[in-house]
This record gives sequence, structure tokens and C-alpha cells, in this order.
Amino acid sequence: MIESRSNNDFAVSIRDITKRFGETTVLEDINFDVAEDEIVVLLGASGSGKTTILRIISGLEMPGAGQIILHGKDVTNIPARIRGTGVIFQSYALFPKMNVAQNIAFGLKLRRKPKADIKQTIDRLVELVHLEEHRTKYPSQLSGGQQQRVAIARALAYEPEVLLFDEPFGALDAQIRTKLRREIRTLLKEIKVPSIFITHDQEEALELGDRIAVLNAGRIEQIGTPFEVYTKPSTEYVATFLGAANLLDGNIRNGKFESREITLEIDDEYEFKDGQPVKLVLRPEDIFLRKPENLMQHYQKLTEGVIEELSFVGAFERVGVRLNMPDNAPIVVTRPKTETAAFPLQPGREVTVGVVRFRILPDLARTREHVQRAAS
Amino acid sequence: MSANLSGVRHTHGRDIVKPLSVAVLIAVMLPLVLLPLASIFIFGTSTGLASFWKSLTAPEAVFALKLSMVTSFWATGFNVVFGLFAAYVLAKYTFWGRNAVIVLISIPTAIPTAVAGFALLLLWGPYGLLGQYLSEDNQIMFTPYAIILANIFVTFPLAFGVIMPVLETMSRSLEEASATMGATRWQTFWHVTLPSLRGAIVGGALLTFARSVGEFGSTILVSGNLANRTQTAPLYIFAKFNEGQVEAANAIAIVLALFSFAIFSVLFFARDWLETD
Repeated sequence: MIESRSNNDFAVSIRDITKRFGETTVLEDINFDVAEDEIVVLLGASGSGKTTILRIISGLEMPGAGQIILHGKDVTNIPARIRGTGVIFQSYALFPKMNVAQNIAFGLKLRRKPKADIKQTIDRLVELVHLEEHRTKYPSQLSGGQQQRVAIARALAYEPEVLLFDEPFGALDAQIRTKLRREIRTLLKEIKVPSIFITHDQEEALELGDRIAVLNAGRIEQIGTPFEVYTKPSTEYVATFLGAANLLDGNIRNGKFESREITLEIDDEYEFKDGQPVKLVLRPEDIFLRKPENLMQHYQKLTEGVIEELSFVGAFERVGVRLNMPDNAPIVVTRPKTETAAFPLQPGREVTVGVVRFRILPDLARTREHVQRAAS
Repeated sequence: MSANLSGVRHTHGRDIVKPLSVAVLIAVMLPLVLLPLASIFIFGTSTGLASFWKSLTAPEAVFALKLSMVTSFWATGFNVVFGLFAAYVLAKYTFWGRNAVIVLISIPTAIPTAVAGFALLLLWGPYGLLGQYLSEDNQIMFTPYAIILANIFVTFPLAFGVIMPVLETMSRSLEEASATMGATRWQTFWHVTLPSLRGAIVGGALLTFARSVGEFGSTILVSGNLANRTQTAPLYIFAKFNEGQVEAANAIAIVLALFSFAIFSVLFFARDWLETD
């Protein structure tokens, strides 16, 4: 998880951060880095600790242990006001009695920049965030998206070491959210300021981040590119939090996954012991209900099944399938429109279920049970 | 702004509850509030405007009005500054005894004003707990300073009471944003917090000032009620009434009543501006 590069190679380095509130540990051994023009997304459910990390990086909270390093400088004990981070709050926190230009200028005035420089910076930034006609307006006269852009411009004005976004799209409706996060990502790539976003929205994380750190109960479960964490989740939590996932219990036998009638060849990358309890992770879009015509190399038959329910969800069809296996809940399969049109299904129809991609994870709970049973 | 809380119809035909309720409201207010206020104006102008003007411009009357305004100004200034400071400290920090401090600040509202005046005499009077150590030339009681002290005491919680709820509900992310941008605590307070409290400060100041101008119970004890020296407008009304000079008393009563109307009109009609964003 921690690359073997020095702290000086990264814009932001978080080292061994731990935080407790009373008896409750909210963060434990948090480690990650952010490169110079990278966007890292901290993804997690409410209460996972992501907001606390952001507040610690910005200096609004102190960690119990660990270090925050910005551009090679340890800022752990430096107050927020001289740390040089730019924070975009969930509520944007625009100063209500200042107009757009005054909000943007605030950080520069605090730094006693010359008036000419301040004016130049304001002009550049209102153009950058496309708010030229709104510079004399007050926050209450702006839409949510416009307020957010002012918040970004305000943070950029004083050239922060890192930009920190606290669930910036939470207050916006779905359509605007999608549009804005693409615009924000384009903008951040243009200005090349290292950025850290926190969100609970997995779609947002996948679209925004160069890398995603998935948090669960104060710990980072996995950190990697969106492709890595989605296709190769390293824990059950990551698999189910980031996208839909079907889980099947099984064991490793003779280098293969086995679960009742199901046998699947697995890649050499896995290093499981024979007999080890594991979980098979199947993404709905990687499951096929007929053998694909353009045969994919990795297609393997899973078992037979029966269609239980179908629902139209716009861009795809969601299908509930009951596998011909005892004690198994239906698995969920998604089919694109092309597949739906070519191969229409009805509830009750028998189908052959196959997969082209899957992931095997160690089943720690069953492994512990086996160990305890063996010990007793 | 409509006061209609619910558009639900409760009857088929004409609903008499609404006009009846309003009529009862006015009928109760009439003898208790409206008629007494009207009496001041009716009586005060009954002998003609010239007589009214003469009463109003009498030297003692002018002095009394000025003294009321000046002492109220200083009391308001102090209480707004202290109220703002107290509200800021209590909204921002938790500490042992915090609730007790809030209660203590609010206590003057519950204490009868005569008791307040009496207490000040016991403290600062010539034989008071602290007053006994002051020289004769530096005595506070029976001077305009005593009036200011009394006004401070009785209006102590007013500005605080208006400012505190606004501070408590103010988003802390504004201050945090300011801090992350490089502002010190003072800069954040001056540039961010204070502008957002503009309405509350003005509202608290107007309330405090109006209350001070009308203060009687404590003032009559601590001032000595000396004409052209320590006699405020309410004391002037009292003195002139006792002397049988009802017209003189009435003229100042009209001025004070109009002044109160003006202040409360501002508080009511400018309330949207006075409320924070």
C-alpha cells in the first residue's frame, strides 16, 4: 500500500494516522500518498472516518498519532491557518456578506497581496470557473453548482498545497452532480493541483479518482486505480461496496474453485492452500445467461439456473436468477440492451449460467471457524 | 408575509371563527394597551400644539430627554460589546459552569428594577460595600454614572439574548473555512463572524436602547432624581405628575412613546434584513 518512495516525491503523505474520540477508534493506521497532479478519492460509508481524515489533513483536527507531510514538510503540529490547504466544504462555506470576487480575494488579502495582483487573480479564476457575469453576486444569489465553483476558485486563489473536497456534490441533484464532477475533474487536471475527495458515492469515486482508497470502520481496506479496486477487490467489503457483487461460498480443491456442483479454473495469481475456504465474487455484468457467440477466452460455465425476476433499469436489464444449488439466494445478472433484444427472457425460463471474469477472496470467517473447530 | 398557517377549511359555509378571533384579540388589547397609549396623544394635544411645544422645550424637559439618550447610549454600547463577547465565548467554548454563567447573565431580567437599584446603592452608595472606599468627590451614586450602571444592570441580558442564538446556529464551517484560508481568530471574527451578526447586533442594540430609555425603577433609587442633574425622562414624567404638571409630563410621555414606536417599527419591518443569511 505504501510505495517505496521518499515523502519528498509526493505532494501529500499520510503516515500511520490514528485518531480516537474517547474510547472509540475512528481511524487506525491510515497510510497513503497523493502525487503532484493526482486525484485520490477516499470512499466509504458514513462513519467510516473519511471526514476525520480530511479534517486532520487540513489541520481542523489533530491526530492521536501519525504524520501529515505536505511537499516534504511535516505539518502535523502546524495550525490550520498556516498549513496551506484549500478546503471545499460540503456546504461550500462561502462568506454570505461577501460577493463572489470578495470571497475569492479573501485569502489573498490575508496574505497582504498587492491590489493589482489580487485583481489579476480574481479575473483569472472567475474565467477559469466560468463565473465572469456573476462576480458581483452574493452566495444567496447563486445556484449550488455556481457556489461550488466559487468555493474552488476561492481555495485556488492562494495556491494551496493540496485541495480537499468534502463530499462536494452531496447537495446537488443527480443530473447536475454528474455534469459538475466531470467539469471539476477536467479543471483539476488542467491546473494540476493535488486533490483529495471524500465521498460515499461509488460512481462518483470511480469517475473522479485516479486512485480510490476504500475505507471501512477507520481502516483503508484497499487503495488502487478505479479499475483495480473494481475488478480486483481485495476484501469482501470492497467487492460489495464498490459496485454490485454476487458472493458464493466455496473451497479451493486441486487448484480450482469448488462449490457443490460448481467447478471453476482459477488464475495462477492466487496462492491459496488446498481446502482453504474462499468466496467467489461475481459482478452482475460478468455473468452470461447463454454462451456468448463471440466466445471469450475466459468463459466458464457455472451451473444451470431459473429466471426469477426481470426489471428494466434504463441502460440495462437486471435479472434475478436462482441457481440450481441448495441454500443459495438468487444471483443478480445485468444484461445490456443488445443482449436483451437478441435473447429475451421470461420468469421461469431455465438458463445456463456462465462467467467471463470473477474474483476469489479468502473467507476469513469460515477459516477462523475451521481453525477453532480443529483446535477444539 | 401571510400568517395563514393552514388553508384547511373547517366549515361548509362562512367561517366566523377567524373574524371572531381577531375581534376578541382587539377587544382585549383595547383597554389594556391601545386605549392607554391613545390617551397620551389625545390628552397631550387637547390644549393645542403650542402648549405641547412649550412643555416639550422647557429646559428641564430637554435636559431630561438628553440625559436619557446619553445614559442609554453608553449603557447600550457597553451591553452590546459585552453581550457580543459573552455570546461568542459561550457559543464557542464548553467549560465547567457554562450553564451557570448563562443563567447569571439572564438573571437581571427576572429581578425587579427597584431591587436592582437598591442593590446598586448597597454596593456603591456612600456607605456601600465598595462605595465606602470612594472619596466624596468620586462617589458614583446620585450621578449620571449611577444611571448608566443601573441601565447596564437591567438591560444586561438583552443584546446577549439576541446575539447568542444567532451565533449558536451559525455554521461552524464558515470559521473553519476562514481558518484554512489563513485567517487568525481575530481576522475570522472581524471579517466573517461579525458581518454575519450585523442584524443581531443592531436588533440587540435597539432593544437595549429602548429599554434603557424607559428605565424607571432602578434609576429613581440610584439617581436621586435631581432636576437638571440626574433626572431622566421617565423620572421627569413622574416628578411633573406628582407636582400636578400633567401637561409637562404628558409632552415627554408622547416623545418616549413615539420613540418606542419608532424602534419597534424598525425591529419589525426590517426583520428580514436583521436576520442572518
